[in-house]
Amino acid sequence: MITILVVDDSRVSRLLSKQFIAQKHPDWTVAEAASGEEALEKLTHLSPALILLDLNMPGMGGFAAAEKIRPLRPAARIVLLTANVQDATRERAAALGIGFAEKPITETRIDQVIAFLESR
Amino acid sequence: MFKLSALQHDALVEIFNLGVGQAAAAMSRIVKEEVTMSVPLIAFQSRAQVAQTLGSGEGRRISAVAQQFVGAFNTEAFLMFPEEKSLEIVRLMVGQSLTMEELGEMEQEAMSEIGNIILNSCMGAFANASGRELQGSLPIYHAGTGDDILGLSGKEWDGVVLALKIDFNIEKRHIHGHVAFLLDMTALQDLQQYVDDYLAGLTK
Repeated sequence: MITILVVDDSRVSRLLSKQFIAQKHPDWTVAEAASGEEALEKLTHLSPALILLDLNMPGMGGFAAAEKIRPLRPAARIVLLTANVQDATRERAAALGIGFAEKPITETRIDQVIAFLESR
Repeated sequence: MFKLSALQHDALVEIFNLGVGQAAAAMSRIVKEEVTMSVPLIAFQSRAQVAQTLGSGEGRRISAVAQQFVGAFNTEAFLMFPEEKSLEIVRLMVGQSLTMEELGEMEQEAMSEIGNIILNSCMGAFANASGRELQGSLPIYHAGTGDDILGLSGKEWDGVVLALKIDFNIEKRHIHGHVAFLLDMTALQDLQQYVDDYLAGLTK
């Protein structure tokens, strides 16, 4: 059973991610967190194969969350899913060894992220 | 009113063209329909002038998403749509899976996310053209007349609005949007410097 954790303060973004993942893989579990802090709390009992992380969230942002998640769940693939399309953001994601995907969240974008997970 | 030289103005239009192109593509992916846009018309106007363009005089109501950006220059950016089109845009975004009640509950959050995506597309072009990062705040949703929206920063304010008439035209729906940037005098000088640095970079 594959679990995916969607971390985004926007309820509609979580809803869209969940909807598109469920369409492709109805047997996968999609867990949600509305902040970096909540993601860390959920990771005490979840071992997701993939973590989709928004960047700009109240409290702990996506990069800070990724840095804390990495040692906790080294096997998980982390993808930053963000509206921030600045080169500096892509470069920082690459430096942290995490994937980068641009919002908006569409079926195609989620397909690409799933392909990234399945390519390992 | 604040003025740029012809060359500075051209450079600003060029950068906005990139940003608006990205924003229109993002909007098209959000609503799953063709989105056309006019070449951005850049005007430095007072808040009252922009509010009037937005129909403030007739009491026309607007759904707006505001986001602060700080970095090479500081600005408060707004994405604005007619309020009566807001639910329609959200419906296009989330599809038919939600009831009207759920849709209404999510309207503000969905509009905030759309604003976040569109405004970041515009500002991303600025950051990428110069290599200087712009930090964006969380998006905030507002509804009201143009006066209410653009007056939200209130206080004694000596700035202007860089009004970008983008005209997001969601083809089959006749929905038009606007983007505007509030800049105070310091931000205007920083923007001018930003444009000069950009031009200097082109001729190196």
